Amino acid sequence: MALLEARGVGKRFGAVVALSDGRLRVEAGEIHALLGANGCGKSTLCKTVAGAVAPDAGTIAIDAEPRRFRGPRDAERAGIALFYQELSLIPQLSVEANLGLGHEPRTRLGFIDRRSLRARARELIALFDGVAGPELTPEALIADLTPDLRQIVEILKVLAREPRLLILDEATAALDGRQAERLFEILRRRKSEGVSTLMISHRLDEVFAVADRITVMRGGATVAELASAETDRDTVVRHMVGETKLRPAAGRRPPAVQAEAGLVVAHVSNPRLRDVSLRVAPGEIIGLGGLQGQGQSAFLQGLFGVLPFSSGAVTLAGEPFMPARPADAIRRGLAYVSGDRGRDAALSGRSIFENLIAAVLVREKRALVRRSALVPRATQHADSLRTKYASLAAAIGTLSGGNQQKVFIARWLATGPRVILLDDPTKGIDLSAKADLLAIMRQLADEGASILIYSSEDAELLEWCDRVAVFNAGRIVAELAENTLDPFHLTRASYGEVA
Amino acid sequence: MTARALLTNPLTLAAGAIALLLAIGEALSPGFAQGDQIVRLTTVAAILGIVAAGQNLVILGGREGIDLSVGPMVSLGAVIAGNVMAGQDAAILPAVLAACAVTFAIGLVNGLGVTVIRIPPLVMTLGMTAIIQGGLVVYSQGVPSGNAAPALMAFVNRPLLFGLPGILLVWAVIALALGFVLRCTAFGLGVYAIGANERAAMLVGLPVARIRCLLYGFSGLFAGLAGVCVIGYTGSSFISVGDQYVLTSIIAVVIGGTSLAGGAGGYLGTVLGALALVLLQSVLTTLQLETYGRQMIFGLTLLVLMLLYGRQARLRV
Repeated sequence: MALLEARGVGKRFGAVVALSDGRLRVEAGEIHALLGANGCGKSTLCKTVAGAVAPDAGTIAIDAEPRRFRGPRDAERAGIALFYQELSLIPQLSVEANLGLGHEPRTRLGFIDRRSLRARARELIALFDGVAGPELTPEALIADLTPDLRQIVEILKVLAREPRLLILDEATAALDGRQAERLFEILRRRKSEGVSTLMISHRLDEVFAVADRITVMRGGATVAELASAETDRDTVVRHMVGETKLRPAAGRRPPAVQAEAGLVVAHVSNPRLRDVSLRVAPGEIIGLGGLQGQGQSAFLQGLFGVLPFSSGAVTLAGEPFMPARPADAIRRGLAYVSGDRGRDAALSGRSIFENLIAAVLVREKRALVRRSALVPRATQHADSLRTKYASLAAAIGTLSGGNQQKVFIARWLATGPRVILLDDPTKGIDLSAKADLLAIMRQLADEGASILIYSSEDAELLEWCDRVAVFNAGRIVAELAENTLDPFHLTRASYGEVA
Repeated sequence: MTARALLTNPLTLAAGAIALLLAIGEALSPGFAQGDQIVRLTTVAAILGIVAAGQNLVILGGREGIDLSVGPMVSLGAVIAGNVMAGQDAAILPAVLAACAVTFAIGLVNGLGVTVIRIPPLVMTLGMTAIIQGGLVVYSQGVPSGNAAPALMAFVNRPLLFGLPGILLVWAVIALALGFVLRCTAFGLGVYAIGANERAAMLVGLPVARIRCLLYGFSGLFAGLAGVCVIGYTGSSFISVGDQYVLTSIIAVVIGGTSLAGGAGGYLGTVLGALALVLLQSVLTTLQLETYGRQMIFGLTLLVLMLLYGRQARLRV
């Protein structure tokens, strides 16, 4: 009898179908891996199983008994515990307080029993004895811990519930090799006690090292259930990719052979990036691929001076280039377009004009806002992108999402950029706006700009880019071009398999 | 502008409040709305308006921007100016420069505390308030010190040009200059930008911390300048002369329609706000309301305005 059996689970968010047919069967006492490319629905499926998201369709059964969780607490009572990536810890509280949060042992008078709280924390911390470092004590504040130790506390918090099913979504992302190995040892020991683990991982080697069985998802549905001993990595990747027809991108060009120096990045690191090297020639469109949050944004923000590189060297057109803040990068001809418009781009409440010319003022070190000179330029750049607006004086919020994004791109076109960094730029804009964006990028590249795009949608990278550098855990693990620029190689490299 | 938009525009509302208060004042005490009386009220409003200029800048810059230290800064400006000039006309210029330089520097310290150490503005400027007040007590031993030069008193109180005292001309120049800076310079655009969305402002390359630091510096400077005007208005200074300006400068800014969240508003509204507030004060005095009664009305005004404008803030696009 299966510990967990989910069938036909569906979930839509507005018009977006995140999950159409999620199936998942986890036996008691097994380690089960859930795999798939970006946006395949694996996180949504995990959340429905853990009670964090209510499914629109399908059944979830625990011990063959159908259940309908009203919330995470409900799922927790059924023995399911979900690991959150650093989201659930309270930084101002100690390790022991976080571990016991909401489940504090009580004395007979109903007060919190500090002594047994501490003893329990000690017991849990001992699980990572020898690999966690001496800073990890019951009394330590979360805020004072390094990211790997915080992640360990997060894992311990899940283990403290003594669940029958642990759900670990990228639980090893911040851990070093020995810490990850220790976690797997703990999971194997729990397995022999009948406890199951459902893991989402960004490393195939990790999956094959610990998982007994593998469920593969694609496009919101479960497409395969495999025993890891009876399959191999390429088969798994092929299931993730499916039978896609290869569509050679219109206008894609072979890797630049010209010796012209564009952007040359050598061995750079920052807190979320390790030893990354990349060359981008003028006229090239380079994609940054991989699963979400593997350092792609950190790389773009490093180049733009938001998260400066701590080591390595960068040259732009042969000159050293190490921006310490965005203004440095902008004055050297860089532009940064974020997909998170509300957070990163919109000067909310201000006019379209102000939103459009802000970067020009910085690039050209203008002290005065001369409307006679700037209004025609703003109009020209907004119109060149076919932006729909009533008047430049209207507030930015009066525009639709796609038109706002055009204003934020026009903001950078007005600076005449040489290197354009796009950080998931198509989030929340419609198909025609996406097509417009692609056309603009191609045109700018033809005019000699270097373009770097991170997209969470693999299809966009495959369709748009001349080359794709694939990130995994803060490193570039593969550079795909020509023959290898296809869904199979992209997905395989995303999971850390070197081409 | 539609009729509805015109009716909910803070500038229209402030202008309406001014007209209403003038009518009430005239009804209560005939002669209230006469020319020389209005000039006298406007002189009082000018001092408040100059303090509120700095308050306005700090609030526009967002991130909970507020300057509670303007009160003691006004007192400090008055005490420094009074002691430097010591009744001598020849020493007016050095006195003004000294008062403004010291308060500008203290304002910059506020700015550094808020940006570099990231102390919440409320706490930073409250702490600065205590430091300046303590310093003033030590310096003056609690007795009034310093005297205004006769030329300064004449400048503030007597007609200089077109029957208007010089201080009104100073206020007009400040209003025009501030309007120009906010609308026509990159710095002004930066002020609105950091108030509207600090992260977006950082990502277009604006020097967020430098701009915010300067805003606090200017707030100190305007308070110091207002202190010089106060000593010109009253003749001598005492160390709590500026206390009344903390609450009133904030109310003037809010009446004028500047959002306490930052990023929206302007100085024209604050000018009207200062005028409306001084008229209200005068009407309440005419009603022979005691100081505590006025305090209560001021506090109530601020809260009612927050209630009215708070609803709009949520609709902000």
